[in-house]
Amino acid sequence: MEWGNSLLDDHVLSLTGVQRPRICFLPTASGDADHYVVRFYRAFPASRCEPSHISLFRRETGVGDPRVHLLGQDVVYVGGGSLVSLLGTWQAHGIDLALHEAWRAGVLLCGGSAGSLCWFSHAVSAFHEGEPRRIQGLGFLPWSNAVHYADEPGRRSAFINAVAAGMPSGYGVGDAAALHFVGTDLAEVVSSKCGAHATYVCPDGNGGATERELPVRFLGEPAMGVGDPATELGEAVAEVAGRSVATEVGGRSEPALVEGGAIAA
Amino acid sequence: MGGGGFTMQERSPALDRLVLSLTGKPAPRICFLPTASGDEREQTTRFYERFGAWPCELSILSLFHLGRDRVDPVEHLLAQDAIYVGGGSMRNMLAVWREHGVDQAMRAAWEAGVLLAGLSAGAMCWFEGGVTMSGGAPESVAGLALLEGSLSVHLDGEPHRLPAYRAAVAAGYLPSGYAVDDCAALVFAGTRLTGCVASRLGARVLRVRAERPGEASVQKLPVRLLPGVQPSSPEPEESDGVSELRALRAGRHRWD
Repeated sequence: MEWGNSLLDDHVLSLTGVQRPRICFLPTASGDADHYVVRFYRAFPASRCEPSHISLFRRETGVGDPRVHLLGQDVVYVGGGSLVSLLGTWQAHGIDLALHEAWRAGVLLCGGSAGSLCWFSHAVSAFHEGEPRRIQGLGFLPWSNAVHYADEPGRRSAFINAVAAGMPSGYGVGDAAALHFVGTDLAEVVSSKCGAHATYVCPDGNGGATERELPVRFLGEPAMGVGDPATELGEAVAEVAGRSVATEVGGRSEPALVEGGAIAA
Repeated sequence: MGGGGFTMQERSPALDRLVLSLTGKPAPRICFLPTASGDEREQTTRFYERFGAWPCELSILSLFHLGRDRVDPVEHLLAQDAIYVGGGSMRNMLAVWREHGVDQAMRAAWEAGVLLAGLSAGAMCWFEGGVTMSGGAPESVAGLALLEGSLSVHLDGEPHRLPAYRAAVAAGYLPSGYAVDDCAALVFAGTRLTGCVASRLGARVLRVRAERPGEASVQKLPVRLLPGVQPSSPEPEESDGVSELRALRAGRHRWD
């Protein structure tokens, strides 16, 4: 849902392999902000998919049973905002359980910002008061995550410090980059802009943490004279990218696309 | 408040003014929490419109947009003279409060003498329980239990709440309590009800009590009209269509 750049949105829809995928937007982290819902319907018009949204602050207006609705989707798209408020509201409505069920059933889960952090075991979010802090997510993916990585001051160092202090290893994702998981394994990192970054952070064995830049595949046409950033970033990181294994559950893969894109309420 | 005040675009400012005057301070610090509506912008704007003209120190605590101000919600609440909680989804509000530790902060603020006020979900939350429409149909929901008993709101505006409330009290799902019209309010000192007030003539407060098993009695309580309200000229009755249009324009969602 980046302005004027639909590459990540197109990619999400194409991953479903369905002609006209059913995609449901959850704007919970923004408090179901109207302008955000409008932006979703503009980015995902009925001409290319079957869009819907669930408002947990206006349950009387939308779909009936949220669980049934979520299970009937090809894609669930979670918007950005406050991760803490998002998780609290979901729990109150059983959305956390419904999403897990949907994920196991093969529904593609994706989102930006808080909508990315929520899938992981842990997140470092600078959204709240004071210093960036460690927050427990839904834990579908056993890694940790930070978004707007290196784009906003303090996020990168806070993430590295948290991993050094014992938080699970994980992924720092810059704006316009997206992690694509199949099951719980990273399949690849894609981006809607040349030069977008993603980093794997793990303990260095000496009480600290180390960063490894991940190869990023730009989803658009490479501009003339500009190298593909994926190849520029080199193969030194193939170890991480090479772990991608398609996980089949019940005969269907269970992908989750996680965006670090600058989607904020 | 069973309803009314600035968020519902009530023309009379009497209930909002009462909140300030009850602090007993010449320029009280008042913080508005629009959590139950998902921090809706309209409510925020109207808060500044209504209270901006009065001698007080205003702030908004937005739990969905905390990043902007980077305040510590708990410290901020404890530093207030009055806390005003808006309406919306009671279930969502309490869930979000819990995640941010605001539920504990509210109790601490109350014990420290901060005035707690609110309408709809922002009124029911202080009691042991209320009737929420957060799931679509009316159902009982637990509150913070600072005050004993239960509360049901929008008695006149949403008539289907009362039967659900009465049934919940009769069946013992909710303790005995009060059902309150829009524009009427209960005033408590500590945990003691000191009176019922209203900013509109005819606004009611009902005491709903569990009697014999399976039964709940309803008794009308005396209501004092607030100063500055004209007893002779109640607000003109609106047709349903006009009310609906006003609610739509205001972005108001009357289900909690």
